[in-house]
Amino acid sequence: MRRKVLGLWLLLLVVCGLIAARTNYRTDMGDFLPHSSSMAQQVLAGQVNGGAASHIVLLSLSGAPMPVLATLSDTLATSLRKQPGFLDVMNGGDASFAGVQNYVWQNRYLLSPGVTAAKFSAAGLHAALESDLSVLNSELGLALGQSLPSDPTGEMLLLLNQFSTTTGPAQQNGVWAAPDGSAALLLIHTAAPGFDLDTQQQALAQITTQFASSRAATPGAAAAALQMSGPGVFAVHIRDTTKADVSRLSMLALLGAAGLLAFAYRSPRVLLLGLLPIASGAFAAIAAVSLAFGFVHGITLGFGVTLIGESLDYAIYLFTQTGRGERPGETLSRIWPTLRLGALTSSAGFCAMLFSSFTGFAQLGLFSIAGLVAAAATTRFVLPHFVPQDFFAGGADTLAKPLHVLIRHKRAGRGLLVTAFIAAIILLLLHRGGMWDGNLLDLSPISASDQRLDQTLRQDLAVPDQRYFAVFTAPDEQQALQKSEALAPVLNGLVAARELGGFDLPSAILPSQATQRADQAALPDAATLHENFAQATSGLPFNPTAFAPFFKDVVAARTAPLLTAASLPPALALQYDSLLTRNGSSWVVMVPLHDVIDPAGIASVLKKSGPDFVDLNQESDRLLGNFQHQAVMLAVAGSLAILLLLWLGLRSVQRVVAVAAPLAAAVTITAAVLTLGGAKLSIFMVAGFLLIVAIGSNYCLFFERSQPGTKEYPRAVASIVLANLCTVAAYGLLSFSRIPVLHDIGLTVALGTFLSLLCGALLSTKPAP
Amino acid sequence: MQSLAQTRSASADFTERQTSPVLSAPLISTGTLTYTAPFYLRKTTASPTPEDFVLDHDKITLTSSQAGGTRVFTVNQDPRIAGLVEGIRGTLAGDLPALETFFNVSLSGNVTNWQLQLLPKTPALARFLRSITINGHQNDIDIIDTAGADGGDSRMSIRPITDAP
Repeated sequence: MRRKVLGLWLLLLVVCGLIAARTNYRTDMGDFLPHSSSMAQQVLAGQVNGGAASHIVLLSLSGAPMPVLATLSDTLATSLRKQPGFLDVMNGGDASFAGVQNYVWQNRYLLSPGVTAAKFSAAGLHAALESDLSVLNSELGLALGQSLPSDPTGEMLLLLNQFSTTTGPAQQNGVWAAPDGSAALLLIHTAAPGFDLDTQQQALAQITTQFASSRAATPGAAAAALQMSGPGVFAVHIRDTTKADVSRLSMLALLGAAGLLAFAYRSPRVLLLGLLPIASGAFAAIAAVSLAFGFVHGITLGFGVTLIGESLDYAIYLFTQTGRGERPGETLSRIWPTLRLGALTSSAGFCAMLFSSFTGFAQLGLFSIAGLVAAAATTRFVLPHFVPQDFFAGGADTLAKPLHVLIRHKRAGRGLLVTAFIAAIILLLLHRGGMWDGNLLDLSPISASDQRLDQTLRQDLAVPDQRYFAVFTAPDEQQALQKSEALAPVLNGLVAARELGGFDLPSAILPSQATQRADQAALPDAATLHENFAQATSGLPFNPTAFAPFFKDVVAARTAPLLTAASLPPALALQYDSLLTRNGSSWVVMVPLHDVIDPAGIASVLKKSGPDFVDLNQESDRLLGNFQHQAVMLAVAGSLAILLLLWLGLRSVQRVVAVAAPLAAAVTITAAVLTLGGAKLSIFMVAGFLLIVAIGSNYCLFFERSQPGTKEYPRAVASIVLANLCTVAAYGLLSFSRIPVLHDIGLTVALGTFLSLLCGALLSTKPAP
Repeated sequence: MQSLAQTRSASADFTERQTSPVLSAPLISTGTLTYTAPFYLRKTTASPTPEDFVLDHDKITLTSSQAGGTRVFTVNQDPRIAGLVEGIRGTLAGDLPALETFFNVSLSGNVTNWQLQLLPKTPALARFLRSITINGHQNDIDIIDTAGADGGDSRMSIRPITDAP
């Protein structure tokens, strides 16, 4: 029997381990969001995660006079352009726009919205040449006149005006610079999207290395410093912080808990055995989530392990409650009903999460349930076989002494507790508004100074705000482009009416095939063009032979292969892909709208012509609101499920009250203390409350089941105290984390479980016989 | 340079003769120049086609009856425009640092007949501009010669109307 059980456990562990090893781990926030959200939300999530904006790295070079910084900027940009991993490197210098300008120049007759048959007739060309004459005459004649032999109809100027709707960053010494001249600025698009952390990290390392060598090569730049910002920079930074915090704090937490256990057990072997349930639970949990969802989210993994921390307690209950000379199997059959009810109660609490529309919550629910069930089963069927003969946790009683003092003064303690509870309720009732943390950025692990740097750089580099979008769908790419072309006059009208600063349409980068064909058909053949041009120059002081490049380019454009997405240079391809994305069987076009003056007015204009007007801030507020609402609903549903299960297990309202009342008191006082401390309730704290109930319910169940005066009673109390001290040590250390999730959970759980211990001792303990 | 910087405001008539490889005959234009130190410059062309060019700080407004309405640029939008415009404005304002951002500057002659030569520093500017040469006496500018890289050039002759020191 023993061999069969152990064999089965090992087999399951290996299977789960294999699944875990082959699991697809994702860190993309989009995968954590609701699976039933609107199309706009899904596309926006994709935009935030993988859109062109996520490839951006902003650089600031400072600490030297501007002329030195300008040289440094050029040297750095030139060396970065030679590196793989960057789609384009822009510093305001000439080469910054070469790729895009080249594409636009080469394909001006297919791209320009100004190509019509009338324009290339004798009369049309005559009008164009008259206009050219006045340009030549103007102050800018020398600059603008250069392209006349190739482009007398001015297509390039038309296209450039269409491409650059904003004035762009300030320039000093030929490069982009902060307005006060304190820094040279660069804008880089990495080949890897912001969430591809390993590749991002390589790209950032390349930038740092190239900066160091460029600085060494630039005279007078020794004191120059580099600052970087952007989604990828943040993501890598967060990962580093998380890694450092998690490894450092969890190591400390482990040491703290292990120290307490070593003191109580005085047996290294038993100490290690205590890790078996949680380790088996984690493997089973990963396997279960992987099988059910097809992937495991990074947050599920990190957060889930803290949720099944309760399973460390299972081993503690078993080891500590084993009396002198008692066989572990005997102890187990004595405490198993309580342990089982505790594990089922917690699972019931997490069960509500399974039904969340947030994939992340649903994953966490399944992770916790699978983990706890596997850990309880490991405790029940596997652990007893490994405990050494005559094991006795000798040190545990010492740890429990203060609690026995509290229990002896139960009456006074209860009075104090009731007072604290009432005070907590009054405090929470009096607290007006602002209890919820409504700012999404407060949840972000990015420090306030990093956020400020990012805002300044974006402003100085005139990176357009990605808040408002016109969104529409089409069954295929060509129809999407045609719809985009039809939208151009509507948006141009809004720009002319000064309601809108600018916009980016995919059809401006790549016109539909139909439009390109129409453009080709509008261009005359070589003979007709020469004849029209000869007529057009009559009466004007032009020298027709100077326009040979124009004749050649027009004739070539007539039969040139049509442009496709593959023709685009990298920077434009990136932009095109983020403007026009495939979503299942349909194509979604997201048109960023810049400098929106009157959102409501634009929304109504757009509505008439088809596209939806989307406000990203509103969407993310709605998402956050939904997130909070769900978190509260899950906590309430989980609590109800726990009460129901307790009633099923205990079959007595009185006993359910004895177990549930201390938990209610502990959670209420915790919430009041956190609010008093100035903390705003975050969704992570709500998850923490659920965890308090899950862990605390075990304490109360054991208090409620143990009869003071029996020989088992001190062992039970000792096991609860030991379990709680380990929890407080571990979660208390997490509260020192710089990551909001870990900090909030750590603080809430450490405080709440400790209060559960006190409340349970005072309220759940049976009267002495 | 210092004496040029003393000029607070000035108006002048100009005649400009322009050649270009695309032109079969030179273009002659006339009009007035108005300058208020140090950031305002206006060039109003009367013939052959009325046109108005205004530089105010870094904003350029170009109004033309023929080229179709008004266009607004900023100087920094295009390094070519920046170089060309700063070359003239910097000379009028006697703003040597601004000139040296874009040009290698050399001065020759004496007070009664001086010559200022501007050679583009950056490749972007050199690609279309070979040089700007300014001839003058005391704190007056007489002739501005601009040589383009494509072989075209322009000579602007200036005759002051009023002169407020």
